[in-house]
Amino acid sequence: MEYIRHINRRLHEEHQATLALWGRLEASLSAGKPDSALMRSAAASLAEEIDRHFAFEEAELFPRLAAAGEGDVAGLLAEEHVVIRAAAKDFIALAKTDPADPRLKPLGLELAERLVAHVQKEEMSMLPALEDLLDEQADEELTTGYVSS
Amino acid sequence: MFGNVARSRLLPMSLPFRYFGAAVLFHVAAWALLLPVAGEFADFQAGLGPVFAALHLLTLGVLAMAAIGATLQLLPIATRQPVRSIGAAKLLWWLLASGTLVFACGAELYLPRLMAAGAVAVTIAFAIYAFLLARNLLGARGLPVVVAHGWAAFACLIALAATGIALVAYYEHGIALDHSAFRAAHLVLAAYGFMGLLAFGLSTFLLPMLAVAPSPASRISYVTLGLGVAAITLGSLGWRLPGALLGLCAALLHIYSMERSLRARLRSPLGPAFLLIRVSWACLALSLVAAILMELGHAPARAGLLFCLLLIPGWLLTFLLGVLQRIVPFLASVHASKASGGTPLISALTPVRLLAAHRILHLGALAALLAAVFFEQEILARAGAAAGLAGALAYAAFFAFVVLKVRNHGIHPPHQPAPA
Repeated sequence: MEYIRHINRRLHEEHQATLALWGRLEASLSAGKPDSALMRSAAASLAEEIDRHFAFEEAELFPRLAAAGEGDVAGLLAEEHVVIRAAAKDFIALAKTDPADPRLKPLGLELAERLVAHVQKEEMSMLPALEDLLDEQADEELTTGYVSS
Repeated sequence: MFGNVARSRLLPMSLPFRYFGAAVLFHVAAWALLLPVAGEFADFQAGLGPVFAALHLLTLGVLAMAAIGATLQLLPIATRQPVRSIGAAKLLWWLLASGTLVFACGAELYLPRLMAAGAVAVTIAFAIYAFLLARNLLGARGLPVVVAHGWAAFACLIALAATGIALVAYYEHGIALDHSAFRAAHLVLAAYGFMGLLAFGLSTFLLPMLAVAPSPASRISYVTLGLGVAAITLGSLGWRLPGALLGLCAALLHIYSMERSLRARLRSPLGPAFLLIRVSWACLALSLVAAILMELGHAPARAGLLFCLLLIPGWLLTFLLGVLQRIVPFLASVHASKASGGTPLISALTPVRLLAAHRILHLGALAALLAAVFFEQEILARAGAAAGLAGALAYAAFFAFVVLKVRNHGIHPPHQPAPA
């Protein structure tokens, strides 16, 4: 889908990057060939995503969705953030200390599945809804705020 | 006309799942009805009876039922429009489920009057669906390719209901009409038109989502749609050869664009459901090749039955079973998440071995029935029907597994419609 709103394009690009990275990680873990460098890269990316991307969505986007009658979707996505955060905390800690730790495999596979499903839901429901909800001014303010965060 | 607009584009779980559940049960019933008469299957020509009843359990009870359930949930996401009436969607289900059952009983018992009563209920159900579909498409925003396919499917739905009523009137009152021409038009409008175009349109949005892949190029999708509509128009008006040729071009273009999109996916495993989807695409193309050969007079004996097998269980049913085994766990996880505070993994709602057993049985049933008709072997037809029934039971077990898992997750699906 092609987005008109800048903030949607930005979030979509980040989703694509997340899917590509975690797709590679999932493939390496499924093949039984864990890659320490990839593991560290995924952990760093995940930490950034949670700090910035998730926080932005929770502070700026989910309330707008809820106010526009899409509270079900906003609530669902927020719940998924909670679950992903909990799994990510363990994954990031383990990947920092020992990227070869065998406990990383089930955690990594779980996170890969959760992140893919989460991105699918945001791409299917949240971004199209924002296309309708945001006007040009709100889009500009959100994009500026997000880029500078 | 109907009140009770859905508050959110995410419907209560009970709504799409009642359609999927009914489709799963009708799937079992269709194979169960076929099994005792499977020996006569290879000689089936036309007319009422158990094979005809099984065919309509499949087309109305499984294909239309699941397609309506899926579009009620998926179209609002694609078009950014909520379902206009939860009450109408529920009434539609009751009419379609009961009408299909009555219609199939009438066909099985050679009672055209009973069939007519079922047909009336099904026609009213289709009218309600046409209303909901049109209201959704009229206000659609976003994904114009899906919307264009939706309008084309809508037109086919109206035409197929009209030809269906005419055929029932022929059976019940003996009204004068070119029965074989109406029957052929009804088949083309239902299978390639309504169901086929919905499948093509939703595929452009749903399959890339499931595969984590980019959407196919809109330009190709519009060309495919144009070719498809021209093919359906020609085919239903009796110009079968040009219709089948154009239809084959549309099918091959659709398969090409979807495969190109899947090749660019970001997640390497496609999942075994895509085996069924790819087999269904092959059956679609082969059904049109069979139609062309029949028109050219080069088709083998019983080609009409081979054509129907490739088209209905081969293309439409196989595609539907492939897609449903992905969207049922996906939707279930969404609803399980809502009430429990924890999100179940989709993989935890996907019984891999059960679905593998279903795949083998379903594909085995399809192959056995095709071979039975081609070689005129009763034993193969019986084996095919038995495998089909076993596969349908495995699929029903999969559906029950997902529903029970969600219930055990501690959720109580919201059955009350959301306030407008």
